Amino acid sequence: MMDFLNLILDPLREMLLQFREFLPNLLAMLVIFALGFLLARLLRTLLVKFLGAVQFDSWSDRMGFTTVMRKGDLWMKPSHILGAIVFWLLVIVTLMVGLGALKVAAIDSLVGQFFSYLPRVFSAAMILLIGYLVSGFVSRTVLIAAANGGFHYAKLLAEAVRVLLLVMILAMVMEQLQIATSIVLAAFSIVFGGIVIALAIAFGVGGIGAARRIIEKEFAEDRPEKTPDDVEHL
Amino acid sequence: MGSVTFRPEIHGQIEKVGSADIVVGIPSFNNARTIGHVVRAVQAGLAKYFPERHAVIVNSDGGSTDGTTEVVQLTSVEDFNAILLHHRVKPISKIAFPYSGVPGKGSAFRSIFEIAQTLDAKACVVVDSDLRSITPEWIELLVKPVLDGGFDYIAPLYHRHKFDGTITNSIVYPLTRALYGKRVRQPIGGDFGFSGKLAQFYLTKEVWETDVARFGIDIWMTTTAIANGFRVAQSFLGAKIHDAKDPSADLSNMLYQVVSATFQLMEDYAEVWKPVRDTVPVPSFGFEYTVGLEHVNVNTARMLKIFREGLLNLRELWQDILGAGDLAEVERLGALEDAQFRFPVTLWSRIVYDYALAFHLKKLPREHLIKSLLPLYIGKTASFVLEVEPMTQHEAEAEIEKLCLEFENGKDYLLNRWK
Repeated sequence: MMDFLNLILDPLREMLLQFREFLPNLLAMLVIFALGFLLARLLRTLLVKFLGAVQFDSWSDRMGFTTVMRKGDLWMKPSHILGAIVFWLLVIVTLMVGLGALKVAAIDSLVGQFFSYLPRVFSAAMILLIGYLVSGFVSRTVLIAAANGGFHYAKLLAEAVRVLLLVMILAMVMEQLQIATSIVLAAFSIVFGGIVIALAIAFGVGGIGAARRIIEKEFAEDRPEKTPDDVEHL
Repeated sequence: MGSVTFRPEIHGQIEKVGSADIVVGIPSFNNARTIGHVVRAVQAGLAKYFPERHAVIVNSDGGSTDGTTEVVQLTSVEDFNAILLHHRVKPISKIAFPYSGVPGKGSAFRSIFEIAQTLDAKACVVVDSDLRSITPEWIELLVKPVLDGGFDYIAPLYHRHKFDGTITNSIVYPLTRALYGKRVRQPIGGDFGFSGKLAQFYLTKEVWETDVARFGIDIWMTTTAIANGFRVAQSFLGAKIHDAKDPSADLSNMLYQVVSATFQLMEDYAEVWKPVRDTVPVPSFGFEYTVGLEHVNVNTARMLKIFREGLLNLRELWQDILGAGDLAEVERLGALEDAQFRFPVTLWSRIVYDYALAFHLKKLPREHLIKSLLPLYIGKTASFVLEVEPMTQHEAEAEIEKLCLEFENGKDYLLNRWK
């Protein structure tokens, strides 16, 4: 009878023993979750206040980030968006660290993979941010130079330059994140090549009439230049 | 302050000269065709008006490949008797060398200031190397007020064609006058006289890697002299006629360098110009006479095309800088026929102040900001040309005076928004 009871109770004791060993890990995870969550909230609040103090929202307006956000149907202030991004990033990191505290082999492997992927996410975000700023700067340089030269299609040219740069930057970001790299490379080649061929066809075949009109218009508008400008501006 | 490093042979030339009362600086870059005339006029001026003074001509060259420095070294006045009452007592030394630093007029001037300081000069003059209208009297008019009158800075006063000097007439002169309260008519004239003390003061400033090192040097010299309380005057020099300019010279860069230096000076001297409410004329020297001026061709149709293309393409940028109200006025101008095109002076003064405020608030990278002003400036210039075409020189000058008063009256607009 005792043997039979032992047969039933031993696994239960074993389970209880394992649970007692596991309990501190579980508590550690819960503490990490709670502290991490509180820390994330605190950092979000401090970050939003700091960004407000350095007038980050005005800077975002000037750099065109706010416009991009509005186009993407995001109506929060840029400083709040950045605060939310940092908050959720910290929450995810807290979750990963907390789960790691459980010391379960399968979860440990998942957490390891997550942390080894983080540098790629960070560098991709940096490429995206710097690329966005550079594309805006280059596009505006082209716009002003072309407009000052009296080029009628300055805005179109600047927008084309911006789109081309953004396509290139997005391809770099995808490559950095290792998302379907071969497909991205192929898609990038197709899009870039396609744009060049489209332009060639548009001007060479399809848009021959339009091209002629543009060139004729430019020449016609240049005709008054036969009167030279001798003005000394300084 | 990092000083200019001269090559050993230049040190040799400076040591040989020892000291000088007057230093005449001539910045140059491929001006072999005209610099000979300038050097002769300077030599004659020094011989005629300052025969007892020890003088040095300094040619600060930007790496000319056409033999400019050789022309300077070989040029002399062949027959003093033909133009002078008596021969010069002291010989005139010459130092010609390629300057170092950022390529531009400002770097050339910096080397001239350094030499003036080393030689302990009492008075300095700088004149352009492409002048065709310079006479020996220019040297007297730019040096004498410094040596005998106790002035520190002598700006030029020229008769120019009514269409010339448009950056000066529509931006730099009205703005500088309204800000600092001194009516210096040619603040970026290019030919100046100044004291050795002021040359030394210029060298204490760390501006030689900025736009001041290029076209910004003229407005920087004038404003620095006014804002730091140096005694400023102007001398009437007659007509200013240059050698023909390179038609491909980039107006956009020229405008950027001059206007960005002007706006930067507004930042540096905000506490100086804010309390200034009235403007006063500065003492003038020289006998003013009427001069015949060469005809100037202007293509207003081409100018208005650039203005309209700017309006079409830069509308969003202008809206951020000027605001909706002024942009609406600019748009109204864009719809006018060429013959009816007139840029209201009130609108123009507000536009310049709006750009100064945008520069102050760092609304855009400074090069983008100021280069986006070009179509508006071209439009204003076209309007001025159309307006003053039937007018005499004197009447055209009265129009510039009206613009200046508009800048003065509108200064509160700037002050109320400057934070």
